[in-house]
Amino acid sequence: MILTRRQTLLTGAAAFAAATLPARAARPEYRLHPQEIASGVWLFEGATESFDPKNGGAICNIVMLASHEGAIVIDTGGTARQGAALRAFADQRLGGVAASLNTHHHPDHWFGNQAFADRPIHALPRTRRAQSEDAQVLADGLYRILGSWMNGTTPRPASQDAVAGEMTIGGRELEILALSGHSQADLVVQDRQTGTLIAGDLLFLNRAPSFPDADIPTWASAITTIAQIPASGYVPGHGPYHRDSRAMGQTQHYLSAMDARLRGAANNGLTRIEAMAAGPMPDYAHLGANPQEYQRSVIQRWREYELRALPILGQAG
Amino acid sequence: MGSTLTYLLPGGQVGLAEFRGNAAVPESARTDPFDSGMWPDHRRDFLDDPQDWRHDPALLVLTPPNAEDPGHVPVLVDATALDGPVDRIVVSIDYSPLPKVLVFHPLRALPFLGFGVKYEIGSPLRASVRMADGSWRMGASFVDAAGGGCTAPAAAHSRPDWQQDLGQMRGRIWPAFGRLRLTLRHPMDTGLADGISAHHLTELTLADDAGPIARLEIFEPVEEDPGLTFLLPKGMTGPVRISARDNLGYQFNAEVSA
Repeated sequence: MILTRRQTLLTGAAAFAAATLPARAARPEYRLHPQEIASGVWLFEGATESFDPKNGGAICNIVMLASHEGAIVIDTGGTARQGAALRAFADQRLGGVAASLNTHHHPDHWFGNQAFADRPIHALPRTRRAQSEDAQVLADGLYRILGSWMNGTTPRPASQDAVAGEMTIGGRELEILALSGHSQADLVVQDRQTGTLIAGDLLFLNRAPSFPDADIPTWASAITTIAQIPASGYVPGHGPYHRDSRAMGQTQHYLSAMDARLRGAANNGLTRIEAMAAGPMPDYAHLGANPQEYQRSVIQRWREYELRALPILGQAG
Repeated sequence: MGSTLTYLLPGGQVGLAEFRGNAAVPESARTDPFDSGMWPDHRRDFLDDPQDWRHDPALLVLTPPNAEDPGHVPVLVDATALDGPVDRIVVSIDYSPLPKVLVFHPLRALPFLGFGVKYEIGSPLRASVRMADGSWRMGASFVDAAGGGCTAPAAAHSRPDWQQDLGQMRGRIWPAFGRLRLTLRHPMDTGLADGISAHHLTELTLADDAGPIARLEIFEPVEEDPGLTFLLPKGMTGPVRISARDNLGYQFNAEVSA
């Protein structure tokens, strides 16, 4: 979940700045910029930002693989309307939709499911469970942040269990990996035909990784697993398509830098708000969605570090 | 300069300056930048309507701009840079079903407190500091929130065995910085969640052989499993006795040394 609650309080200066921004369109529309990054592999790159009315929640990468039966859609977008725009592309250019996959349960990746619900939608069992449990809370938050972009969005959890191993849809062979670490269940897909690896949010590039459901050691070992798979190119959950190990390196380094920063803060007696206010590690201050994403991460993960830094006390004698 | 430790993290001082720069802070002595209707009422109800009060930029009230987790909104009040001894600090939230958060009596400790609160809707949080001369110094910070903090059941109630570790305390003293940090397991039920009656801490005291070091009056909006940070008198290494009680009469005691 990539939520940044916007400061609704407008000071005089902010109100003046707001007047210089372009007015929001009366009926927001999603403009897609599909790129064919490999043969029959279409990427719709998300904004490397947090959820914001300026981006309509279109912040994660969407991939479509062409097959004999239509598109294989990997992640469906963050709103019903974004899903509908993606569906229109699949219908007009790729001969409809064969099936969809949701990489994990964070809403930017699957709140577009409605537009694909007439075809099978696969997700790992723990993802499906989290989709059902958390949908209302996530939707409430997004309605508040995105406003009318969210109109008509009713979260539709995936309809089928995805299983690790080989999977063929419309004659296109996929390799499915069931990993975890960024969330309780992270699905990774490799397209056999081109070697493209679609990593979901286990990989970020030039965008601050998010931690609402993260387990850092598990996440780090998932990246190690991905690094051992020969691939022609990588689609991270957030950030540009690339052909080298950049995202693996950057995400891995960010995880250990974040871990070290929170450990250092807790072990030196800092309060949660001090760790948050200190801002991100200087090397990563420039990443998209920072400092907000770093601040959210501190709130989400602080208690674990605090418990390790504070021993249980005995009763007073 | 106050007593924050952000400088211990690389880039932390720059980060703190930027973080504070984004917050709307009261600029003038008596105007309320948040134009909050409840603020005059709370001055009357919680502070006995003092006439000698003003906003003081030397008082640091640090909150996040928004409530990522409305059950745990971290706050730091640092009154160590004020010019004079502090008698007590009253923390309140303008727009909350339960506006009074806590009253801190620093006694022998420094006027510095880290804690966490629940938030129901976007609202300013106020720290009102009563100086030893009877005048009041104010600071405030706005937190945006989407609700659920005060009216949601405690997370403890999703664990059938929550009563087993009720009152368990963790803590540590950092003599180099004079800090004492502690956490106390407690559901801190406000009484506003359906079918769960109020069960919250009411008081927490730090003491040593010389008597009380600091005293805290606690109300419903303080977070579940409270985490608290104090600044001890210079050179104190403990043992410090922590004692707390709640509205159902439970008492909790523990001891911490450097």
